[in-house]
Amino acid sequence: MTRRTSDASRGRIGAIAIAVLLPVAIGLLLSSRARLITAANPPPVAAATKRIPVTYWHMWSGQWQPAMDEVVADFNASQDKYEVIALQVPYAQADAKFMMAVAGGDPPDVMAQWTQAISTWSEGGILQPLETRMTPEERRFFEQETFPVIHENGWHKGHLYGLVMSVDLYACYYRPDDFRKAGLDPDKFPETLEELTAIGRKLDQKDASGRLTRLGFLPQGFTNYAPSFGGGFYDATTGKTSLDTDANRRAMSYLVDTSKAIGIEKVRRFNSGLKSQNGAAWPFIDGSFAVALDGEWRVLQLAKYAPDLEYRVAPLPPPAGGKRLASFSNTGFLTIPAGAKHSEGAWAFIKFWSGLDNPERAAKYSTSFGWLPSSPRMANSPDYRAFLKKYPQYEAFVTLAASPNIVTTPPVPYQLFLLDRLITVDELAMRGALTPTQALAKLTSDTEQEKGRRKGLGYE
Amino acid sequence: MKKSLTGYAFIAPWLLGFAAFTVYPFVTSIYLSFTRYNIVTPPVWIGLGNYRTLLTGDPLFWKSLGVTFSFAFAAVPLGVILGVALALLLNLNLRGMSVYRTIFFLPSILPTVATSVVFLWLFNPEIGLINRLLRAIGVTGPEWLQSPTTALPSLVLLSVWAVGGSMVIYLAGLKDVPAYLYEAATIDGANAFQRFRHVTIPMLSPVIFFNVVMGLIGVFQYFTEAYIMTQGGPEDSTRFYALYLFERAWRYLDMGYASAMAWILFLIIMVFTGILFGTQRRWVHYEG
Repeated sequence: MTRRTSDASRGRIGAIAIAVLLPVAIGLLLSSRARLITAANPPPVAAATKRIPVTYWHMWSGQWQPAMDEVVADFNASQDKYEVIALQVPYAQADAKFMMAVAGGDPPDVMAQWTQAISTWSEGGILQPLETRMTPEERRFFEQETFPVIHENGWHKGHLYGLVMSVDLYACYYRPDDFRKAGLDPDKFPETLEELTAIGRKLDQKDASGRLTRLGFLPQGFTNYAPSFGGGFYDATTGKTSLDTDANRRAMSYLVDTSKAIGIEKVRRFNSGLKSQNGAAWPFIDGSFAVALDGEWRVLQLAKYAPDLEYRVAPLPPPAGGKRLASFSNTGFLTIPAGAKHSEGAWAFIKFWSGLDNPERAAKYSTSFGWLPSSPRMANSPDYRAFLKKYPQYEAFVTLAASPNIVTTPPVPYQLFLLDRLITVDELAMRGALTPTQALAKLTSDTEQEKGRRKGLGYE
Repeated sequence: MKKSLTGYAFIAPWLLGFAAFTVYPFVTSIYLSFTRYNIVTPPVWIGLGNYRTLLTGDPLFWKSLGVTFSFAFAAVPLGVILGVALALLLNLNLRGMSVYRTIFFLPSILPTVATSVVFLWLFNPEIGLINRLLRAIGVTGPEWLQSPTTALPSLVLLSVWAVGGSMVIYLAGLKDVPAYLYEAATIDGANAFQRFRHVTIPMLSPVIFFNVVMGLIGVFQYFTEAYIMTQGGPEDSTRFYALYLFERAWRYLDMGYASAMAWILFLIIMVFTGILFGTQRRWVHYEG
């Protein structure tokens, strides 16, 4: 009996021991594995020289990954103090991962940002100011020698929270062969938007059943066209949004009227028949459009996916009374998150890559990424001149980059909400559900309501 | 006592996980719903501010609620009707029935993301398979996800795709209906419809009740398909409640506000589940 009790007791103790020890053992195994993985990741140089690690998260994958690796390798080779350890984060998860890291007190030292939310995040105390880290000479260069789109963005309430690294601008890609076939001179790109619109209709093609097979030129995207009409979404002098304006109304009316002239239903069906907007499937390549307003990154994609395609690029011509060399722009930033452990190293890396101290050196990286130059010095550097010689289509974008007529996302704390509402009212107007006047009134009222909501909750 | 300890020791890993990843966030979200909280800086207590603003100063909240209710009232009954109909068909004594059952069940175990991407192409008005087939018989198909009038019905149709999951449960329910009830009804002169109406449906009602409750809970949290296929558009016609909640939390950095939304959703689900439980005495028959 005693023996049985003792056996049972031993069995129970064994069972408890197994139940408790098993998860502990699994935990230890996982943590040792985690250590192994972590230890395997940093390049061997880091361990040998014991430099300060600077963690850097970015989203550059695919064709841009080698360019990113090159920047990191060059920086590390130039350093005996810091070692950048880069981590490529999938774009779809980047923002959430970043937020969680900052909230958890373990953010990267440098974070690349593509979301147009510098103001939102700065307001939330997620980012560190950068301008305070600049030397007087760097500050002078930044404010006086870089292009306006570079030094005017990334600010919030008097502080620079994101240094603009990449600038996406929009210009007209056109196919000279289509122009020639339609009896048009490809050397004479239209001077006005009205002229371009008329030419677009001449370049349209339909099949026997009347379905559009090619659209000469299809203007769409309110944010892309508002700048040429002198419109925009923010008044820097008052520090407030500026949405329901005559210029914006003209821009939206132009888009709606052009779509109506072609046929709203026809346009929708034509758009939905397009394969994709990505890489080799870009509809300009297969001839779905003769003229397409698109970003500078298409130049390298065309070189890769359609090297034999004859095309040219010209800035979007302005409408009567509009602005020349105007474009909307999404910008990519480098930021230092709040709580970064090695912010000095982070700034050293940002400075190195952006070329604040040496734009000629940084030109090499801009060309690897296919980016626009950030200053005339960079544009005139030997590396960038060689790049332009190889890809002359970039000239139009470089000209645009220097323009003061570039419109970006308003630097207000509710900027993502505003961008989302811009898309919605654009849809409403383009489908004919609202007139441009009603659409802009709705945009203003939605925005005011959001401001009121934030104020009511104590955000403002 | 020792026996209990042994038991707790064995379930300790689950208990710890449940406490850390379910109970703690659940309780915390109650507190956060009364705060202004942007994820990074400490939450600030604002009392009922989030709830008050949601109910009185946020048109998108009501819009998203309307979209979700419309979807729920269309998708849940449709799922029940089609699920029961399919189960009845697949309950027939035919050769190769197990193959048919497998075929109809398979879609429900496919990953939602993959299904959504495939349907994105199927629903394409111009080059999608559905409209191509319609065009072949001389019909101009709708614009499906690209029109504010058809986007939501398209998602309702998509929900039918996964009806195999509930169908299996109905099928199991049908197998449990005693044969003698049908025999008795037949002897009493009941025709096929009467047997279905007065035997099958009442006997199946507990299973229908279960599926309606689970279906309702599921549709109120509808997210993935809308996130992948429409992102709330066109013109907010598919801005589901859960999608808007996600945007408020992670895109606009309003986690306190989103927590309040989550609790309102929780209450709505509880109310509807309560109503269903309250009415079950009238239409659910627990036999045997």
